[in-house]
Amino acid sequence: MRHDFLDRYSRLASPVHALPAWLKALATLTLVMAMAVARPSWWPALVVATALLVAGAWLSRIPAGFLLRRLLLLEPVVVVVATLALWQPDGGMRFALLVARSTLSLAALILFTNTTPFGEVLELLRRCRVPSLLVTVLALMYRYVFVLVDEAARLQRARASRAFSRSAARSWRSVASGAGQLFVRSSERAERVFTAMCARGWRP
Amino acid sequence: MHVPDGFLSLQTAVGAAAISAVVVGECVRRLHRTLEPRQVPLMGLAATFVFAAQMLNFPVAGGTSGHLLGATLAAVLLGPAAAVLVMIAVLVVQCLVFADGGLLALGANALNMAVIGSLAGGGIYRLVRRLGVGLRGTVTAAAFAAWCSVLLAATACAVELALSDTAPARLVLPAMIGVHAVIGLGEAVITALVLVSIAAIRPELVGGGEPTTHRRTSLVPGGLLLALALAALGAPFASSLPDGLEWVATRFGFEHRAVATAGAPLPDYAVPGIGSPLLATALAGVAGTLLMLGVSYLLGRLLVPSGRRQRSET
Amino acid sequence: MAAVNAIEVRDLAFAYADGTPALRGVSFAVAEGECVGIIGPNGAGKSTLLLHLNGVLPETPDGSGAVRVFGAPITKANLYEIRRTVGLLFQDPDDQLLCPTVGEDVAFGPRQLGLGGPELGARVTAALARVGLAGFEARSPHHLSRGEKRRVCLAGLLACESRVLVLDEPTSELDPRGRRGIEALLASIPATMLVATHDLEIVVELCSRVVVLDHGQIVAAGETVALLSDEALMLAHGLERPHVLRHRHPHE
Repeated sequence: MRHDFLDRYSRLASPVHALPAWLKALATLTLVMAMAVARPSWWPALVVATALLVAGAWLSRIPAGFLLRRLLLLEPVVVVVATLALWQPDGGMRFALLVARSTLSLAALILFTNTTPFGEVLELLRRCRVPSLLVTVLALMYRYVFVLVDEAARLQRARASRAFSRSAARSWRSVASGAGQLFVRSSERAERVFTAMCARGWRP
Repeated sequence: MHVPDGFLSLQTAVGAAAISAVVVGECVRRLHRTLEPRQVPLMGLAATFVFAAQMLNFPVAGGTSGHLLGATLAAVLLGPAAAVLVMIAVLVVQCLVFADGGLLALGANALNMAVIGSLAGGGIYRLVRRLGVGLRGTVTAAAFAAWCSVLLAATACAVELALSDTAPARLVLPAMIGVHAVIGLGEAVITALVLVSIAAIRPELVGGGEPTTHRRTSLVPGGLLLALALAALGAPFASSLPDGLEWVATRFGFEHRAVATAGAPLPDYAVPGIGSPLLATALAGVAGTLLMLGVSYLLGRLLVPSGRRQRSET
Repeated sequence: MAAVNAIEVRDLAFAYADGTPALRGVSFAVAEGECVGIIGPNGAGKSTLLLHLNGVLPETPDGSGAVRVFGAPITKANLYEIRRTVGLLFQDPDDQLLCPTVGEDVAFGPRQLGLGGPELGARVTAALARVGLAGFEARSPHHLSRGEKRRVCLAGLLACESRVLVLDEPTSELDPRGRRGIEALLASIPATMLVATHDLEIVVELCSRVVVLDHGQIVAAGETVALLSDEALMLAHGLERPHVLRHRHPHE
């Protein structure tokens, strides 16, 4: 995985980016909750939500193609889960409603995640009195995801350069031993991070 | 299994979030008492590891691939309470960074994959761990627990979808359970393989600090109890559509399509020739669970040569 | 009466939990304002020694006085004061940079010291400016080059206003430009410094004295140029005479 797309746009200077994180989070949650209770007869609400999201996306100055690609990447899940509704009375209608609700919620979430750096999200969680242990785990995770993903990519490349077999059993084994190595490396890094935290005056 | 927004009713989502919040609070309280400072960065790195491990795809069949859930793996390596937090962190990052899994649905996803996945995985692991000594016991128990945790998480997910009136229970329950009984096999094998490969490099990381009990006798009632509990869970699915499994196999788990068409060992979760569908399902549940216990035992024997079982206890 | 030494190590011994001895009877002293190099082959015990200097090892401070910082033995009571006085730069910046943004990371140390508000902000800004990374506060560590990461780590130490800097391989894995940047930066910092490194060129540039460590023991100590010019000594301990000294007379 390439991870540079992650916060490529989360630090742009735009009116949307400049809004406080809590306001954006609240707006996203409100929209998502409204979608959760939306009925087919509420179609004007869906239109309003769409208009708001398009306006938000336009104001955010994030390239529309990027946002659409993110949306399309996650859309298959939405459509597949929604097919479940086809087996109910009035299935076509339910299906369309589910897809609309879910897609709009997803769009709101994508807009939120791409206009709010994760550091601000963490600060928000801290202020919402999420247990500090969980926030610390999240902060460390966000910091080291990039390091570990690079490490995993290196492992996979090294393995690919030496693997000649395509047998399924063997590739299961090699994936698992790659994951095992990754865990060992993570736990060793955790030891070193702990040492560094202590050296920097961290008090548990 | 990441449910996007829009499929859960407000009540279901809020209810699930409330349960998750209470459990997380309890886990944090517990960890504050027992956690050593050096385990704090370990939890952060373990969350990173689970996140990365979920991206490693393993080939299933016919060119498709699956990936790990990792809740049981985390529970075995860190203990259930820490695993809950680690899995929650993974889900939060997936949701708030990648928009993978809904925001309102976060509570439900946390309930299924973090709370139920880790606590059931960890609990069943501890219960079944007495099956064997040393690494072999660990691997066997972890494989079985991994299968159960995936199955239970999928069940919870199906129940939530049904409660939200998104899909009829008679369709979504047997479908999710049927598909995940097979996907869980992948989870079991990978969990076992990962543990074996960790033990090969750093044996002390696997099952560290867990007392190894040698009372093999306690296995029989424990395993039976478990099988019965799972079977009881299976009972309500008796009223499944006759072709529910096949249908979902081709449409539902798009990523795991090929696995599902291979068929669960007991299609439709009913034993042919037995009149009462309730009893039939219960029997199927018991049989499936015992079968998986056997598979896990074989996995343990296969992956851990007998010479290594003592060494891992140090 | 001479001033108290910034760091004084007397008869320091340490073995890891598995019984492997790492340090055996190590003694040396660093005066305030001095810059001393610690050199030696891989596995000589350099990193283990450095971890003792701000009380990370042994895991519970024993107050034995084997290590004294400005005359004070490391005890449980003054542990945080010691860690504030002695800043440790780790070999892998990815181990040390543990916050999601550069600004938060530089603030990590001072925050542990109880600092907050505008004073903390001012310290972070000043420290980043000092290492030539002004305006990097909101950047994420993973988007930085290795040299930049090292400099952020250094800024984190400067923000704590540490009087003693203990640096583990400050120039490893850097390209020549990054290496020069770190070298110039270190030369500009007036703090007392202890540098463990394989980079003997930087030792020649920065350090007035050198301690040679091998198998957990000090095998030689003395004035930098004289010691590093001793070809036999260097080769005996997995080192080599640095190029800059090849054309320089020892008594120049």
